Amino acid sequence: MSNYADPSSLASASVSAASSLLQVSGLSKSFDNNSTPIFSDVNFSIFASQSVALIGSNGAGKSTLLRCCLRLIEPDSGSIVFDGEAIDKKSGRSLSKVRNKVGFVFQKHCLVPRLSVLSNVIHGNLAYCQGPRNWLHGFARQEVRERAMDCLAQVGLAHLATKRCDQLSGGQSQRVAIARALMQQPTILFADEPTASLDPQSGQEIMELFERLVKDNGLTLFFVSHNIEHALKYADRVLGLQERRLSLDSVTHTQSLQSLRAFYG
Amino acid sequence: MDKLNNEFTKDADMTKATFETPLRFERPSIISHVLFALFVLFFLWSTANAGLSISELLSGFPNMATIAGEMVPPATDRVWPMANAILVTFQMALVGTVIGIAVSIPIAILSARNTSPHPIVRHITRSVVSFFRTVPDLAWALFFVASVGLGPFAGTLTIIVDTIGFCARFFAESMEEVDPGPSEALASIGASPMDRIAVVLMPGAMPSFINISLFSLEKAVRSSVVLGLVGAGGIGAELAVSMEMFRYDQAAMIVLMIFILVFAVEQFSSSTRNRLLGQSK
Repeated sequence: MSNYADPSSLASASVSAASSLLQVSGLSKSFDNNSTPIFSDVNFSIFASQSVALIGSNGAGKSTLLRCCLRLIEPDSGSIVFDGEAIDKKSGRSLSKVRNKVGFVFQKHCLVPRLSVLSNVIHGNLAYCQGPRNWLHGFARQEVRERAMDCLAQVGLAHLATKRCDQLSGGQSQRVAIARALMQQPTILFADEPTASLDPQSGQEIMELFERLVKDNGLTLFFVSHNIEHALKYADRVLGLQERRLSLDSVTHTQSLQSLRAFYG
Repeated sequence: MDKLNNEFTKDADMTKATFETPLRFERPSIISHVLFALFVLFFLWSTANAGLSISELLSGFPNMATIAGEMVPPATDRVWPMANAILVTFQMALVGTVIGIAVSIPIAILSARNTSPHPIVRHITRSVVSFFRTVPDLAWALFFVASVGLGPFAGTLTIIVDTIGFCARFFAESMEEVDPGPSEALASIGASPMDRIAVVLMPGAMPSFINISLFSLEKAVRSSVVLGLVGAGGIGAELAVSMEMFRYDQAAMIVLMIFILVFAVEQFSSSTRNRLLGQSK
């Protein structure tokens, strides 16, 4: 598959860690000792205000790679530099400080179903202020509540602030998850198949919301998707995992539906 | 099109040749037969040791009829002392259950797989809870009566220990069953383990907590009745005295009161469960 890579645009090889927001070098991961790795020697960089899509077939290791970048899953080897700081040796509070800057939107929303929309959004503030003040919206400071309402307004759900999360549709839940990530005031937003559990219309709306956040707020987006059209339309760059390697790192405009479909062949 | 049909037929033939329809039921192994035979033998031996005797049952019927006859009508001469004793029984159960539940929550956090700070802590707390649960409540009652003396305090302590043995285990299991997704989401932004317990696991396990707590109250009311028989306070002591003095009419009144108490607690528990958990759906 190396013929799909565009050597002129392989950003990670030529740019230093200092100028990239996230730089991943030589990352490998296998789940059982000595077994075939899920992926090995993965290298790429992501730059500020870029939108980057990661594609690959089921089981290619996209979600694992995304989690390894934050060390939610420990990689076997390789280095991760986030915003100029190497995070591979960090632990505890210093690792939390790095994670604070990264919003993470999951495929299944991962909201607390029994709590209100506003409380769930306020949980984003736990990145900076731990403890009971951010457990429920009733305990939160007024300025935190107001900022959470701003985040909800950005995703168009301010009118549902007091509704319980288990009463929302899939699309609304995903918007709340995005609002929670915005509450963190993240430098970069990771999204793991954010539209996979949504109908095409809701999926489109979510991707348009991401596009607006990248353009208007200067947010950096790194998203995993099976939807090649989304990758081509909403990403500046596309990375492709295949046969345990990152075999594609290219600017989107040099790619086509046909060339990306080969990753699912 | 013909080519496509040929391909399909070829595939279907291969499937037929490769896979056979599985048997409806697996044939049990020799070990299963041996184990079943051993169980039957042990059960037959157990019936002999359990003292099952049809003749003794038949000869006991006249005594049963006599006692039942003496129970009717139930005596009303000691209604107020009995009512006071049944109130104390319920109060023992209530206080013991509430304190037991409060103590169970931190123990459950220490013993649940997804919240315990260390595997050693988890094994120690699980072992303690298991010990509390496996020792019968009457044995605990005898221990506490010997330690703190006769009366409701010994009964309350027994119910606390019994509730911890029951609730801590099931609270821990219900926290382990909570969807790990939201917890992972908060971990990804750097929330502390305490935040994740308070924000994700406690609300997620709350319906189970309510259910378990109400069952625990029902269980405590039933066992607090029996605890009095060994001197741990409450209506059980009244029942023991009545039976020893052959006042079966008084015993009947006590049994009637116990029935009303247990029935009332079960009704309250059932309606509370429906109201609280019905709202959460």
